[in-house]
Amino acid sequence: MKRSKYSDIKNIFIDSVDQENFVELDSTTYNYQVLEESLDKPLKMILLFGRPGTGKSMILNKLYHDLKNSREIHYFDAPILSEKEFLKRIYEGISSRKIPQNMRVNFDGLLKFCQSLRGKREIMFLLDECQLYSEALMEKIRLLSDTRVVKFVITLHKTENEELIAKEHFKTRIWEVIELKNATPEELNIYIKKKLLQKSFVEVSNMITKKDIKFIHTCTKGNFRETNKFLYTIFNIYEYYDMYKPEKIGGVKLSKKILEMAAIKIGYIDD
Amino acid sequence: MINTKELEKRWYRYKAKSLILVFSILVVLLILIYGGYYILYKLDLNISFGEQSKQTAVMDAKVDKESNETVTEEKRESDEVMLAPTIPIVDLESEKINDKKERRRVAEKKRVKSKEKLVKVKASTYLTAQELAVVNGSSLNSRETKKINLHGTSNNYMNIMKKKFEQNKNPREALLIAKAYYKAGNYENSEKWALKANNLDKKLDESWLIFASSQEKLGKQQEALKILIAYYRTSKSPKAKALIDKIKAKSI
Repeated sequence: MKRSKYSDIKNIFIDSVDQENFVELDSTTYNYQVLEESLDKPLKMILLFGRPGTGKSMILNKLYHDLKNSREIHYFDAPILSEKEFLKRIYEGISSRKIPQNMRVNFDGLLKFCQSLRGKREIMFLLDECQLYSEALMEKIRLLSDTRVVKFVITLHKTENEELIAKEHFKTRIWEVIELKNATPEELNIYIKKKLLQKSFVEVSNMITKKDIKFIHTCTKGNFRETNKFLYTIFNIYEYYDMYKPEKIGGVKLSKKILEMAAIKIGYIDD
Repeated sequence: MINTKELEKRWYRYKAKSLILVFSILVVLLILIYGGYYILYKLDLNISFGEQSKQTAVMDAKVDKESNETVTEEKRESDEVMLAPTIPIVDLESEKINDKKERRRVAEKKRVKSKEKLVKVKASTYLTAQELAVVNGSSLNSRETKKINLHGTSNNYMNIMKKKFEQNKNPREALLIAKAYYKAGNYENSEKWALKANNLDKKLDESWLIFASSQEKLGKQQEALKILIAYYRTSKSPKAKALIDKIKAKSI
């Protein structure tokens, strides 16, 4: 069976936090630098917040991969909702020892253990999707950060409630707050084109005009996750036409019809 | 793989909706523009009609009484106008009679006019009774003064007029002297005295006319015309215009 080039193109836009897919934009590079510099300061916690799809997980993932060989760093990409499991994973991260399934970590014991390491070690934990943690667990995270042995970089979705959590629980401990925002049309243009060029799809990159970017930005509001989803759908349709009705996708520009079809498919525009 | 058939159907539906939307917006816009224009036009008409009706209402009230009378007159007039071309036969006998009547009427008018002119000439005499008495050496009460011939340019008359002019410098007197010289055919003196009168009073219509006429008589038509034209531009005097035409006609 014939394989379309659009199959590879659409896969570029599969949403993932793989550090290989990290696209350096002015804003993301700046935020990443701020985060890196913050890690060297005598902080307790760093808060990374923004709306879903603004690249928080991506930055956290990149930070982990960049620093994992030079620092003691642990990345919890999925939230651990069980307190028992969370404390166990923290202890394992600090002690580098496996705890048997039938045993649990005593929080007071963990605190004392951390205090005993003060001035000797500095262990970093990257916690994604912290809005899912319970308040009790967040309080324990706060107490652990007070030991100054464990540093936490946490991400929160920017909603009213989550901002409240940030204010109430962490305002005295959070040293650095980094807010991630949606991309502007110009940034989105660079983002899409860099992604295509990274995989050497120069021709397809040139097919995307400013007008297309404007349309994409209007639909996705500059959200990276939404943009990935949109472009995946566009090239999915292209793939179908390429395989079954190639006469419909000729030309040096992206088909407006296909763009609109993808927007209808996702629900950006109503049919 | 994506189901493009279903998606295409949805896209066509979307496009149709978009077109309908664009079309509806255009129609609404057109209606608004047309409606606005119509309302404005109507409003404008109403205002002008309103003003007109107010004016005409007042006019009508005034004219209403007259209208009954004028309508009948107009009807008569219009009847004549309408009937005139419908008569193809001309009664030659009655036309001859009408012609005779008309000629008589015109002759009568001319006679009346010439009489009026004579009366006017008499009124333009400037000499007082006392002056006349001096001229003829008779008393004021004498009945014979009426028979004295005033048209003569006797030296006595000229001397008295000149003396009088020397005393009061009245432009009217200078003009009278100019006229007397002109009538006597002494155009050089008439030109000179007309100029004197004109120097004293530029608005004195006859001073210009006598001056120009004298010049014309002395063979200076072009100069006379220039002066008269210049005077006519400022005064719009019908006499000056008539004289210009006369001199022009003569020179042609």
